[in-house]
Amino acid sequence: MTAPTTSRRLTGESRALEPRSGGGRVPRSVRRGRPRLFTRYAADQALLNSPAKRWWTLAALVLALALPFLVARDLTHLVTTAIAYAIAGIGLNLLTGYAGQISLGHPFFMALGAYTAAVVGGRPGTVTWGLELDLSLALLAAAVVPAVVGLVVAPLATRVRGLYLAVLTLGLLMLGEQLFKQWAALTGGSGVGRAGAIPVLFGSDLTRTYAVGPLLVTPETGLYLLALVLLVVLGVAARNLARSRTGRAFAAVRDRDLAAEIMGVNLLRTKTLAFVLSSAYAGVGGALLAILIGRVTPEQWNILMAINLLAIVVIGGVATITGTLIGAAFVVLMPRVLEWASEWLPFVSTGSDGLLNVFQLQSMLFGVLIVLFVILEPRGLFGLWQRVRTYFRTWPFSY
Amino acid sequence: MSRSRPTRAVLALCAAGTLVLAGCTAVDDPGTEAEAEAPQPSDEAEDTGSTEEPQETGAAQITIGDGVTEEPCPDAVNPDNGCIYLGVLSDLTEGPFAALAVPITDAQRAYWRQVNEDGGIAGFDVDIDTYTRDTKYQAAEHAAAYQQIEPNILAIAQSLGTVNTESVLGDMDANDIVAVPASWWSGYAFAENDMGLIMETGYSYCTEAMVGLDWFAENHGEVTSVAAVGYPGDYGGDSAAGVQLWAEANGISDVTVVPTGPNQVTGNQDAVVSAIAAANPDVVLLAVGPAETAEIVGKLAAGGFQGRFLGSLPTWNPALLQSGAAQALIGLYNHLAPTEQWDGTSEGVEAMKASLDGEEPPNAGYIIGWVMNYPMHALLEKAVENGDLTRAGLRAAIDGLEVDFQGMAEPITYGGDGKEVAVSGVIVSTPNPEAPLGVESADEFYHGATFDKVDYAQACSATS
Repeated sequence: MTAPTTSRRLTGESRALEPRSGGGRVPRSVRRGRPRLFTRYAADQALLNSPAKRWWTLAALVLALALPFLVARDLTHLVTTAIAYAIAGIGLNLLTGYAGQISLGHPFFMALGAYTAAVVGGRPGTVTWGLELDLSLALLAAAVVPAVVGLVVAPLATRVRGLYLAVLTLGLLMLGEQLFKQWAALTGGSGVGRAGAIPVLFGSDLTRTYAVGPLLVTPETGLYLLALVLLVVLGVAARNLARSRTGRAFAAVRDRDLAAEIMGVNLLRTKTLAFVLSSAYAGVGGALLAILIGRVTPEQWNILMAINLLAIVVIGGVATITGTLIGAAFVVLMPRVLEWASEWLPFVSTGSDGLLNVFQLQSMLFGVLIVLFVILEPRGLFGLWQRVRTYFRTWPFSY
Repeated sequence: MSRSRPTRAVLALCAAGTLVLAGCTAVDDPGTEAEAEAPQPSDEAEDTGSTEEPQETGAAQITIGDGVTEEPCPDAVNPDNGCIYLGVLSDLTEGPFAALAVPITDAQRAYWRQVNEDGGIAGFDVDIDTYTRDTKYQAAEHAAAYQQIEPNILAIAQSLGTVNTESVLGDMDANDIVAVPASWWSGYAFAENDMGLIMETGYSYCTEAMVGLDWFAENHGEVTSVAAVGYPGDYGGDSAAGVQLWAEANGISDVTVVPTGPNQVTGNQDAVVSAIAAANPDVVLLAVGPAETAEIVGKLAAGGFQGRFLGSLPTWNPALLQSGAAQALIGLYNHLAPTEQWDGTSEGVEAMKASLDGEEPPNAGYIIGWVMNYPMHALLEKAVENGDLTRAGLRAAIDGLEVDFQGMAEPITYGGDGKEVAVSGVIVSTPNPEAPLGVESADEFYHGATFDKVDYAQACSATS
């Protein structure tokens, strides 16, 4: 008697529903109108598991690809900056949001990534190093080198938690600032700085304009598309990581690390992995930022940038990837929106006259928003969006 | 459905993407086609109507391009004139140089308003307000603001900060945007650094140190030891490099360099005070801000320091005469400047005073801002004579441009390298509560012997 290859759980007609290659057969009429009913494991595990998600993601991608051809050049540049901050923010969210390790030292890793890319892919100056290699190699190095440094730093960080970890990472930031100010061959020195990597990707110079059929790809558009591709790849990778076994380990460590350890989650390994990954993301974000700004000085990787990144994570949504994107767009684009809105606000001016100027308003608004979001909606803007979505999905039973 | 379907879909997508990428060709004239094909909804309320296509305007036959329109400026003085848009990227609110930069910008506005009232330039008014942006002295803000205003301006009337200017220099080169910097880095005298786009005014910090020390040696006796205090970078770094060059040329080996930062960053200057007290030099060259100057001079004088102080251009603010260090400053400090001060006698100073109806500005930033406009004005007039008021035309007109600054500063002929463009005259001033803006200045420019001896073939301090 041959051993049965299918399970004996289902009998009779129901055998038609058993999972095997090719899948079971479920009539389509059963699934119509029931988007949350999954009849295959693959469908259950899919990232885009409902038609609505699939169509909206496609629409978002199409819009994102078309954006630089529709808006002014400086807005494209601004959105690309938001993407660079989003990549770094995803790294911080992995570390702080998912794994619960508060870090104020994120700009240090961004700086490492920026300077690595500048050395590997940048022009040498009278004082500074530069190897003028391809941008792909520079970005790869910008991910690897901070990750290795994160690997070195992690064992220190795994010994402390909460406030002490925040102070330790702040110390790392200050150490880094001094290091970068003194190491002129790497950074150009205090007050002087250096340019980022030269944007020559796979031999193509991104500072030239290209024509693809009727479309013109200007330098800003080229950098934007590069950043977008990186964001999509890294964002999907982070999302998948969060849904995986590692992501669940992160969540366990965040919620109660002692309990996680007792359950068998290796604390050292998990926290180290969180640091390494977040440092790699920060490195790539920093490298992109250096190319976009054109020149980076050691002074700019300071606690104000750390606070900006935390604002991106908190306002956007802790432990969400989409939230980080929203948060980065908010933090980077809000000054421009305020500048535009200041024409209508009577007490706000763009210069130094008037009761309040735009920059002061912006700083105040940030602080107020961080406080409000932490108290009222810990999941940030993404949480707000979830509430709106749930309301409409469960309407009229949304109580 | 097989598990390999998603992989196949991804592969297909990548192949399609690569095919699209393989179809792209480089285009050599980005300006013309980019503006024409990609619709550019302007961020600004005003529609500047910019077009890359050169237009011939009426009888004047002047070619115009980006940044110049035939429509009048917003709030135009002469409604029949066209408009030339100039950009200003300055530190107007939060950065360390805001106190100086706000009067600089005000002076520029006053100057161009007067030019407009006199009829403008060849039928065009000059607008400097619409594209003024605050950069908070940060390279990131400067780059973002530059990206925002670049499509709509003809040139940049003020670019504050060497590092900030350098961050967008590549883009300026690609778009032929010339600029007048509000920074005095020695590298601007060399085409390898500024790509022929920057019209500096006055000496560099490096030159200032050399000539200032020559003046000191002539007027206060032999120098055996020198100290240089400054912010790292193009300001203090350039100044310190000048001190080193002077010491080498004059056989002085006792040089102390003390880097520091603004009080916003370091809190106070105690470290500087102890370093100088320990080194005990004959003269200290200060390349810091006014508050830091007062603190350093006051504390060292109180501690019994016997040497004197030479302050670089941005170190003086008349308000210092109300501080506790006033007596020390009057007794021990001299201010160095590349231009005549408020008590000067040249035509330029008279015009500047007239613009404020005889009132004094808050500080000498106003003088700097006034002087900065002469090169741009001369450039615009020369471009108009050549019939080419486009960006490329302006850039080409820099070569050989002669500017006399109406006597306020030493004349410069742009387009050369090194000593051909670098001027070295210094106006030395002494603090005096009776004098306008608190300083009584010398009657004429002082030139030292050391600058001629030194080999000025490259920037004194590197910016990378």
